[in-house]
Amino acid sequence: MKVEILIFAYLAVCASMIVFNIVCIFVFRHRDKKIDSSKIDFETEIKQCIDNKAVDSKHREFLMKKLKKVNNLTAFDKTLNDLYLDYPDQIIWYLEDISSVFVYLCLEYLKKNKIQSAYYPYIIRKYRIGSGKNISIITDTMLILVGDSSLYCRQNALEALSVIGDASSIVKALHIIDESGYYHHSKLISDALLDFSGNNIKLSDLLWSEFSKFSEKMQLSILDFFRFSSGEHVKRVFQLLTSKDTSDEIKYSCIRYLGKFHYDPAYPYLLDYAKDTDEVHWEYTAITAMSLAAYPCEQTKEVLKNLLHSSNWYVRYNASQSLETLGYTYTDLIDIFDGDDRYASEIMRYRLDQKKLKESEATLNDA
Amino acid sequence: MMLNDQVFEVIKVVLDVINIFFIVYLIGYSTFLFIAVVTGSSELYKKKQQDKLKNTLMRDYYIPVSIIVPAYNEEVTVVETVKSLLALDYNLYEIIIVDDGSKDTTSKKLIEAFNMKPIRRPIQRKIKCQPEEFIYETSVHNVPLTLIRKKNGGKADSLNMGINACRYPYFICMDADSVLQHDSLNKIVHPLLENENVVAVGGVVRPCNGAELERGRVKKYRMPKNILACMQVLEYDRSFLASRILFDKFNGSLIISGAFGLFKKDTVIAAGGYDSTTLGEDMELVVKLHEYCVLNEIPYCIKYATDAICWSQAPERLRDLCKQRRRWHLGLFQSMWKHKEMLFNPKFGAVGLISFFYFLIYELLSPFIEIFGVISMIVAFIVDLINVPFMILFFLIYAVFGSVLSLTAFFARTQTIDLKITAGDVAKAILLCFFEISVLRFILAFVRATAFIGYRKRKMNWGKIERKKINIE
Repeated sequence: MKVEILIFAYLAVCASMIVFNIVCIFVFRHRDKKIDSSKIDFETEIKQCIDNKAVDSKHREFLMKKLKKVNNLTAFDKTLNDLYLDYPDQIIWYLEDISSVFVYLCLEYLKKNKIQSAYYPYIIRKYRIGSGKNISIITDTMLILVGDSSLYCRQNALEALSVIGDASSIVKALHIIDESGYYHHSKLISDALLDFSGNNIKLSDLLWSEFSKFSEKMQLSILDFFRFSSGEHVKRVFQLLTSKDTSDEIKYSCIRYLGKFHYDPAYPYLLDYAKDTDEVHWEYTAITAMSLAAYPCEQTKEVLKNLLHSSNWYVRYNASQSLETLGYTYTDLIDIFDGDDRYASEIMRYRLDQKKLKESEATLNDA
Repeated sequence: MMLNDQVFEVIKVVLDVINIFFIVYLIGYSTFLFIAVVTGSSELYKKKQQDKLKNTLMRDYYIPVSIIVPAYNEEVTVVETVKSLLALDYNLYEIIIVDDGSKDTTSKKLIEAFNMKPIRRPIQRKIKCQPEEFIYETSVHNVPLTLIRKKNGGKADSLNMGINACRYPYFICMDADSVLQHDSLNKIVHPLLENENVVAVGGVVRPCNGAELERGRVKKYRMPKNILACMQVLEYDRSFLASRILFDKFNGSLIISGAFGLFKKDTVIAAGGYDSTTLGEDMELVVKLHEYCVLNEIPYCIKYATDAICWSQAPERLRDLCKQRRRWHLGLFQSMWKHKEMLFNPKFGAVGLISFFYFLIYELLSPFIEIFGVISMIVAFIVDLINVPFMILFFLIYAVFGSVLSLTAFFARTQTIDLKITAGDVAKAILLCFFEISVLRFILAFVRATAFIGYRKRKMNWGKIERKKINIE
């Protein structure tokens, strides 16, 4: 009897799995069909608004009712995508006119599960709803989502805030992410900041004024953003580099910044780092070896040549790269090739050979 | 007569014990498979929903990646493989092909196809490996391409050379006869953006027999014409969907396929790189990473990217399949034996208590247990202690159960990655999954059980199987 129960249990599992498969197939098909039919409804409605050159309250009510459902929002998104190809200007105007619908939807989407909630800021960002206007309900909703445990909610909301373009909201969002304790990759943050559509000077000023209040990880993301955006921060970055309270990681980032954007007062400091032969500080030396490429002069050349003799692979590797970037040739570095240090000559020869190879490839491609 | 009765009694008791063992064993396996397939399917459907609702990182986030392709006698496929890698939708990567002293024209084919030039490149030896014989470089569409020809030392040794030579902080290992899907790099780096402790990410390997690929995109997909390859499609889907997703839930993955996996270079170097003395260097590395991180109290995570797809050739001849499975089984044994102290060791948490135990009972020992089961059935039949109709019924239910789970995995996979399949493919899958469970599984159990015969001889062998050109346009 017990064995029979077992067999029946197995059969029941088999049957339920078959049912599961069939149900899945039908649910997907039905959902796709429903989205397609909603798309047709939206298209008719939106085209009518475009023809009438006005959005009436009835249409807004229709949207408020429909867009509460995430499948309808997907269909709406697809419809706008298609219509934008034929009526780009009208769609921009239409979206501006229906911004109140998105204000209404904020609360609805906050109540949904994380996957559905994350879709809402995506729509806000994609259609630039509230861009330049800073509609407080939308901004506040984004600030709530920025503290969510779902990475996608956080990132979509941060990107939406960037498009909205209010500097103080962005800084607030960064604080929320920082304090939430959830891991948020620095590339995601710096990329979202690079999308900022508002006043960049105001954003930079605010970020600097709050800089010390952020965690080290967030500070690194902000410095990355500065490095990718502009060289206007050289003075402040240099101050940060020379401050006693600055951590090693932040200093590395500052050196990278000053390697991308030339700043004369930083040069003696960079030379000091480059001349530091203490193995414990090899990271400083290696990063500086790279950054010195932004400071072309005879002294840089000599320091970099000296770094080619370092016992650290990365220092030698970066120094050779900088010498190559600075345009030195085999003749300029003859003493390295004629010297006793095989490691130095090998890495330098490789760099110059590689450069020659790239040049010949470029010539071939041009031809 | 009395002695006979006593012997009969003893046999009866022994068979009863065996009976109970097998019932527990099968219930354990079926329950695991059921939980794994349900977890895997729901995870895939969730992923599909996430993609639909844009719960994904939509831009190119440039995490620089080095792709290492170890090659040995791969003149037939290597050029096409590199061409497909050059067509990947990713912005910052390099390709390093390590020719492990091939006896054919692998290097020559590459040099000619990509107009590569010789260069004297110093390589920092962080992990021990055989010396290089020559290095060629070029760049195609701004993707640096390096060929390192080295003295023969095996696949693991070639991968170690690749790790030494690569410049980026993460590397991908793959086979020279595989093709990465156009978006696979983008997908496989996602876990790195989601979790700072990720040290390795496994991708999905799908047999490309029957698929038509164009610049890393599936142009047409059919179940393979070859029956053996067809059954492997079902087997791969079951194994990748089921156990890997479930183990991923508790950071318990013990295998990242050598055909497609991403690793954090520094951690791999610190753990000692690939072990060139084992046949299953891919599994050994993952087990080693668990051990290294736990013992050094490094927070770590080994993830599985369900949407990062690599298309690989499944052997179409039984001889090749047996060769491959023997190699895998020996690799499994070597990896588990080398790290045996992890079994039931509470220090390793779920990895030691669940994953290691599962691999021991249901992977390493399963061929022996299955063959032992068949022998006991024969003995029971001889001494007339078996209810034959019940046995057949039980076996049929087991086969139907396994087949249904295989089909669930297959359909979940095809539906969630939007592969269009025909009614003929569905019929093929339904027919063959039963055959795979009831016939192929037992053939492979025998092959795996006898894998240790001639083990010493095969130690450093690349275990080559017949290569065909992949259907790439």
